[in-house]
Amino acid sequence: MTEPIVVIEHLQKHFGKFQALKDITMTVNAGEVFGFIGPNGAGKSTTIRTLLGILKKSGGSATIFGQDVWHEAVAIHKRLAYVPGDVTLWPNLSGGEAIDLFLRLNDQAHSPRTDALIAKFDLDVRKKARTYSKGNRQKVALIAALSTDADLYIFDEPTSGLDPLMEEVFQQEVLGLKAAGKSVLLSSHILSEVERMCDRIAIIREGTIIETGTLDAMRQLSRTQIRVTTQQPLDAIAALPAVHSFKATGTKATFAVDSEALGDVMRALTPLGITALQSTPPTLEDLFLRYYNQEGGADDATR
Amino acid sequence: MQHAKTGFLLKTALRRDWLKIVLWLLGVVGLMAGAAGKFDTLYGSPKAMATIIETLKTPAMVSLLGPFTAKAPYTVANVYAAEMMVFMGLFVAMMNSYFAVHTTRAEEDTGVAELIRAHAVGRSASLTAASLELVILNLITAVLAALGLQAAGMTGADAAGNWLFGLGLGAFGLMFGAFTLLFAQVADSARGTTLLSYSWLGLLFIARMVTDVTDPKLTWWTIYGWIEKLAIYDQNTWWPVLLMLALTALVGGLALRLGTQRDLGAGLLPQRAGRRTASPFLRGPLGLVARLERTSTIIWLIALLILGATYGSIFGTAGDLMSSNPTMAKLIGTTGVRLANRAIVLAFANKLTVIFVILATIPGLITLFRLNRDEARGSLELVHAKSVSRLRLYASVTGFGLVIALAGLALAIWGMQLAGGAAMGPDALSLSRYMRGFWGYAPALIVTFGVSAVLVGALQRWQSVAWALPAYGFFSLYLGSLLDFPDWAKQLTPYGWVNDVPLKAVDWGQAGWMTALGLGLLVLGYLAYARRDLREN
Repeated sequence: MTEPIVVIEHLQKHFGKFQALKDITMTVNAGEVFGFIGPNGAGKSTTIRTLLGILKKSGGSATIFGQDVWHEAVAIHKRLAYVPGDVTLWPNLSGGEAIDLFLRLNDQAHSPRTDALIAKFDLDVRKKARTYSKGNRQKVALIAALSTDADLYIFDEPTSGLDPLMEEVFQQEVLGLKAAGKSVLLSSHILSEVERMCDRIAIIREGTIIETGTLDAMRQLSRTQIRVTTQQPLDAIAALPAVHSFKATGTKATFAVDSEALGDVMRALTPLGITALQSTPPTLEDLFLRYYNQEGGADDATR
Repeated sequence: MQHAKTGFLLKTALRRDWLKIVLWLLGVVGLMAGAAGKFDTLYGSPKAMATIIETLKTPAMVSLLGPFTAKAPYTVANVYAAEMMVFMGLFVAMMNSYFAVHTTRAEEDTGVAELIRAHAVGRSASLTAASLELVILNLITAVLAALGLQAAGMTGADAAGNWLFGLGLGAFGLMFGAFTLLFAQVADSARGTTLLSYSWLGLLFIARMVTDVTDPKLTWWTIYGWIEKLAIYDQNTWWPVLLMLALTALVGGLALRLGTQRDLGAGLLPQRAGRRTASPFLRGPLGLVARLERTSTIIWLIALLILGATYGSIFGTAGDLMSSNPTMAKLIGTTGVRLANRAIVLAFANKLTVIFVILATIPGLITLFRLNRDEARGSLELVHAKSVSRLRLYASVTGFGLVIALAGLALAIWGMQLAGGAAMGPDALSLSRYMRGFWGYAPALIVTFGVSAVLVGALQRWQSVAWALPAYGFFSLYLGSLLDFPDWAKQLTPYGWVNDVPLKAVDWGQAGWMTALGLGLLVLGYLAYARRDLREN
């Protein structure tokens, strides 16, 4: 197995007394798209800026390509492309100038791929950045990053301000990077985006990573929603320890099952004579809400 | 409905700006009243009075401070008016430019104006509120300045003169505020507006200088010269104040009219399409800084060259002892007169070099501060994420800033030599003689740069404090000797450490250690910059 691309261990960052990052531990492996999700202010951007050597860590360690993110920033950045969530450009540079500048700062040049991306994202590169909307500024950074030949791509909420068509273009491009064996760290609010593209995800909350793993593994930790109709009454099911939020009207019932106990519950249901069964695996939204509302009580997960 | 909520916006603006207003007022009024309080002791004796009046009448002093037009018998107040009027005018014009940009274009650039316009607020409300804020600001300035002069009670100062000085200054400031409001409609950013208003102010100032020396009647055409025509403490002419107010109404009215016709965030100057691809020069951070500062650098360098040449062009008159002091000239003979003329020119060149070096510092510091300004705005974030080391970025920005500042100083001195040579004919002085000023004052510029770089690196929130160096340096060296500042007060800035080059020879030892100190501070600034977080939020 190849070396992991990004390794973060117990990373901490404080601004004065405020602890922005308390304990960040995660690993991005070669060739995977890694999703990074969490609510506003949880520390996603702070983590990414620390990875970029823009912020200096207060504790723990972080490496990219096996090199320290602070001391070896320049060497790391040669093999990395980045798109921030809020792109600010120099008002009197045109979009085209900015794209070329960003490529050249990494010793790369305007390529046919750059032109193809400009066409795909439908950007008027002759306009001055002053006149660009947020979405257009975002496109400038995306075009520059995607046409950079890098080993690791870091996107921090890259599609904010983009319309759905452009979001689709972005997703195709990321899947293209994945097919080409590149590694991607994608921080996002758009869960469908993460669900579609990411191999593994980490959930951050108040400066701490509270869960890491594949989406499937996380689903295992969560509950599946079941809607069932049987020939015989369902009273016995309600008593099972793995069943939650049980609601029944006659022979129809809806309830949530701990995903790992799904088999046991099915075995208990079969003798009752199933006439209709609908099983909904937890969506990322469910997981997201469950982790975020932890103070709100465990049953929130089943809604 | 065009003006709906103007009053509310005005109140909000005053609440937002009150501290800035208080600080500027303290500066303006404190300076006026403080100087007025001191003049009686400075020029109390008839001998001191005679000397200063002779000095003020020399073309060199006329070019710097405006003409001395009062009729004998002279009073201390006459001297005060002659020394302070043009200088204070510059001060209030800058204050008004600052607030006019701050309350209009700066708000549009940050997007606040858009949020405001989206509410039930009239189309002209923001601009009207900004104009009213300027009116209030200048009214307070006028009243406080007059009261300050009343309180100081100089010999020869009367209530009419004091109030004319105050109100004249207020009207003059408001007039430049109106010009800036007009430029704010024409340009498409705060930066562009500031550039236009300062170019305009500079142009009028230079025109005033030339006409004052050559033909004071023509000064009427320079607008700036109206402030001299008040003849304060002499004839107390009131109607130039009305002239200023009339022009203010005209320009301000035009600004308000244009303001309702243009799009928010755009200017009236047409937007040109940009380049499709970047030029080959836009490669690294150095190319980037050069590209971003291109227009303003060109303007600054040309302006400094012109300023130097304009001052140089009066060297023929300035260094003509025969006409300015015939008795003295007869006394020292032909050779003596030639030597004395040269000494006068070189002493004048020293004063001018101080002005040049301080003006040249300004574009340098503006460039240097880009390091933090663009970082705070976020535009450097993408550069930080590239394979560009902090050293390369820091060196590019400081290097470019320092080089254009030094180039500006050299160009101004060169312009002075070119025009001075033409004006002085056979008595012309060589460039190397004038360049003593460069070798003497360049180290002071480097030290100022170093101090600013340390602030940029270590205390980014306080970087604007660095402006105190050129600002106080200008004030203490421009007016310091007239106000009889003690030596320590002139030596608070590095500009005050330099000897009287080009009249005297360059003190190479001092130039050496000052350069070393400045470069050392630059390195220190880098060490702090390399170790800190680049963006906190």
